[in-house]
Amino acid sequence: MKVLTGVMVLLAVAAMAFAVFQPVQVLPRLRLAPGYALVDQTGSTVTSEDGRGTISLYTFVPLDCGEECDGVVETMQQVGRRIATEVDLGPADFRLVTVVLDADPAVADVRAAADAAGATEDWVWLGASQRQLDNVVGLGFRRSSDPVDFRPSYAIVDGAGLVRGEYRYRTLTGDADKLVRHIGVLGSELRNRSPFNSFVYEAAHAFQCYP
Amino acid sequence: MTLVEPPAAVTEDVVARPRRPWRRRLVTVAAVIVVSALVGWLTLQWLTPHPYSGTVMQAPTAAPSMDGLVWDDGTPVDVTELGGELVLVYFGYTSCPDVCPTTMVSVERALDEIGDDVERVRVLMISIDPARDDAARVGEYVRSFDPAFRGVSGPVDDVERVASTYGIYFARDEPLEGGGYTMSHTSTLLGIDPDGHLRIVWPSVLDPDALAADITELL
Repeated sequence: MKVLTGVMVLLAVAAMAFAVFQPVQVLPRLRLAPGYALVDQTGSTVTSEDGRGTISLYTFVPLDCGEECDGVVETMQQVGRRIATEVDLGPADFRLVTVVLDADPAVADVRAAADAAGATEDWVWLGASQRQLDNVVGLGFRRSSDPVDFRPSYAIVDGAGLVRGEYRYRTLTGDADKLVRHIGVLGSELRNRSPFNSFVYEAAHAFQCYP
Repeated sequence: MTLVEPPAAVTEDVVARPRRPWRRRLVTVAAVIVVSALVGWLTLQWLTPHPYSGTVMQAPTAAPSMDGLVWDDGTPVDVTELGGELVLVYFGYTSCPDVCPTTMVSVERALDEIGDDVERVRVLMISIDPARDDAARVGEYVRSFDPAFRGVSGPVDDVERVASTYGIYFARDEPLEGGGYTMSHTSTLLGIDPDGHLRIVWPSVLDPDALAADITELL
């Protein structure tokens, strides 16, 4: 009986230690990201399926909204640069996705905005109709699809199409620092998870070991 | 050389002592080790989460609305009425040449494995080709796999909205040479748990055994 009690206490202590010290951190699996087929800055159709196996950082901006948009663009630029040099994402690729909040934008206007932001092939700018904006941005990412209500916001979507992080409010930590760190956590899970230790990651999800 | 008899007291001691005391101790230690290992293993099994073949979402998000869509008997789909059962949702179309029938067969095989629990599972396929598939046609199609499967369709705008919120994209491909067309679409299978939460997403290639195990766990 003493042995049984000892084993149970040991397991309980181990579980508590795991939850408190969080030796493994993960990003939560929040919900499904929306499905879509939208047109990018080159006039090509880009679908949500193109993001399979790729970690995507989404943001949503009007084509012209002054300093606040400049701040978002600058954050995306920083994250793109730092992910390429500082973070090992293992088997996953990484891309930046900016959804333009103006309905039915001309491809030339989207391209001009993308060029001004220094977008490369790993940074797609997507235009959409109002109905698509309502579906994808409004219902899917749960943000206002009205350019007038624009606020800087970001979403991390993993290669399986799940939203793993949402950022709508500024915090003391800079946006770029926070995003790079969280994408790094996701990369770490992708890099290190194997059939032998998958239960450790599932335990981290169960104990909400979030950064 | 003289043989020395052991003292009488020592002889009596030996005779009085229980025979092979180490054996009882050994049995006790072995029993403790076996029981501890068994309890540890059972506890680990109990604590270890079920290894889902699909991806489970932690946040209990209510399944998105399916307003505008209709069942194959013409009645409107109300997603809030789906509670109490595990609902497997698939977005496909009746002219689908490959992945849709494969998925339907896998689901049907998985349901064959779960015994009486099948009574608490509902399977529905929503057409992403409403131009050709009305709900009745989808119903007829899915019933060819299992009489209990249900078909759903609706106006294209509503299908687009619902599909997007369930993470599904679809688009019409280039026309085929002999006429007609195929559709490109996300081919994941989705699970709404009995509490009405969109809980799990399975990849397009399904292992019926693993799916059956997941379904049992979700119920």
